[in-house]
Amino acid sequence: MASLKRLETEFPILDPDFQSFCALRGIFTVQDFLIRDLQSLVADAEQQPSSERFMQAINQVLYVIDGLHQPWLNGVDLMEDAQKNKHVLSTGCEGMDFLLRGGLRRGQVTELAGPSSSGKTQFCLLTASTVAYKHMGGVIYIDTGNSFSAKRIARFLNQISCPASEEMQPRVLQEVMNSILCHSVYDIFSMFDVLHCLESKLKYQMCRGDNDERLIIIDSISSLITPILGSSGSQGRALMVSAMSLLKKLAHEYNLAVLVTNHTVGGDGGIPKPALGESWKTLPHVRLLLSRDCGSNTYQVSLLKHPSIASGKAAKFIIND
Amino acid sequence: MEVGRLPISAALKGKLVSAGYTSLSLLSSLSPSHLARDLNISENEALDILKHAPHDGRIDTSGGHHIISGAQTAWDMLHEEELLTRITTSSVDIDNILGGGISCREVTEIGGVPGIGKTQLGIQLAVNVQLPVHCGGLGGKAIYIDTEGSFMVERVLQIAEACWDDMLANNAISQNVHAGQVGMQPKDFLENILYFRVCSYTEQIALINYLDKFISEHRDVKIVVVDSITFHFRQDFEDMALRTRLLSGMALKLMKLAKKFCLAVVLLNQVTTKYAEGSFQLTLALGDSWSHACTNRIILYWNGNERYAYIDKSPSLRSASAPYAVTARGIRNNVSNCKRIKLM
Repeated sequence: MASLKRLETEFPILDPDFQSFCALRGIFTVQDFLIRDLQSLVADAEQQPSSERFMQAINQVLYVIDGLHQPWLNGVDLMEDAQKNKHVLSTGCEGMDFLLRGGLRRGQVTELAGPSSSGKTQFCLLTASTVAYKHMGGVIYIDTGNSFSAKRIARFLNQISCPASEEMQPRVLQEVMNSILCHSVYDIFSMFDVLHCLESKLKYQMCRGDNDERLIIIDSISSLITPILGSSGSQGRALMVSAMSLLKKLAHEYNLAVLVTNHTVGGDGGIPKPALGESWKTLPHVRLLLSRDCGSNTYQVSLLKHPSIASGKAAKFIIND
Repeated sequence: MEVGRLPISAALKGKLVSAGYTSLSLLSSLSPSHLARDLNISENEALDILKHAPHDGRIDTSGGHHIISGAQTAWDMLHEEELLTRITTSSVDIDNILGGGISCREVTEIGGVPGIGKTQLGIQLAVNVQLPVHCGGLGGKAIYIDTEGSFMVERVLQIAEACWDDMLANNAISQNVHAGQVGMQPKDFLENILYFRVCSYTEQIALINYLDKFISEHRDVKIVVVDSITFHFRQDFEDMALRTRLLSGMALKLMKLAKKFCLAVVLLNQVTTKYAEGSFQLTLALGDSWSHACTNRIILYWNGNERYAYIDKSPSLRSASAPYAVTARGIRNNVSNCKRIKLM
């Protein structure tokens, strides 16, 4: 969405005459071109002495605009894409897989909300281990609370691969653990930096055809958003929406599953509800609410929102030590 | 629009958008004077904005492993975790449930009712961190941030003397005395505790912001104890939304300190009552949003006449509780005669 002045270097037909013609009508950028009435602009251009050049210039700008939007897809294209690319990733947890009909779907953003110490980090670590081991995929773990425990990942991997409590071979363990990358971020702008770098890296890998990233986990996104949400002005909310739209874009274009965690706050009647407010509710594709039975390893999860499963269903599962 | 993601003020963002710079790629090949003229701002401000424009050389493509700068693989972190030493609490039972003691690079919150021994534990950790590594410490200094005024220097001296006696006794038994190792006197323990007193929440936030620079200059600080983190936020706060924002911002800064300088951060917290499931329960102060601000949480409570510590939240430790006692020598294992004195 550049200004016409900058486009002049690329397209010399947009010369200063055309620019002043547009400036008289309040058009300085390509964006203004889209907002103003095109018909009246064309009619005005035809009445000018150099109408042919102006018409060519207008067509040039329209051509630039046409090149900017995504290609149209029809239902068949989308179905093919879903079958070929958007598979489900098992989470390693039977109850959760049953509830989600297979697991986390690639191309979708899943939110897991729960009160403190309800098992969100444990679930994230278990999912990371399962995806790294079973699906042979890369996992990007963005950690905001220094809760990433490599020891716990090693324990989970031992459980998954050798249920007879044998130890995994060190070489295999090293290979699997090398595909889990952990970043520590402590504010939302660092998270944007990490996601931008990731986007460039994925674009580069896509060209070479060896894309093996499968899952992005952000634990927890609410601790990055809470410091900026609610102050005067809507900057905080804009950043939150912007972050989610970037995550959804990465999920869809590069076939990744995204898992984010959220905390809960007190709601009506003392029942905990997910934090981050009303505008957040529409952003993730799938929303889950987690709770833990006091002092035990049994967890309860209920489905708050899903694009294709009825909400309100619940399931129990156990995560062993 | 991508320009919305830059860490600059809203007014500057508005100017960028109205001048037509709506995406970051348009900024990447621009000179500061050009931008300053376009936006009608000073050249310094233009330089600030361009600092955040994306640089394309950030991907490290060496060795076939496309690692984004700043990332670590889980395998490397596993080895790092094995090498991390922990700070002993002087009570073997508590050390056992903690996997050796308070760990570095993590924020540990310790909460309990008044009189259970939170400040005692904080002081014990500030002394223990100075012990050499083979005695359970890290050989470093401690920062003690006091918000309530409960730091008693005489008590610190008493605990330091007991610690020094124990160290001498251990060295004599194990014949491990290095020449001149026993040079540490109890008074030296006091010298290595850097003490700050804060009297309002603004002072507290300013201090935590300042700690980054302070610790870069005092690299041998290995533990930061804040006693208590919640005191100034509990009374007279009219704007609860502001409180939530300030607390979560403070939590992130402490996490960053812990990770960046590889030190332990210990936060002491008070309790309050909460109405849940039909009854009043004791819970840590500052509510649900704050309860996510720590990596580990230990709750100290009374069980009959004995003190217990319970691990409430941890990414890698099992939930367990252990008894302990507060003695004249500091925090120690529970033996049957160190119990609560009942006031008749």
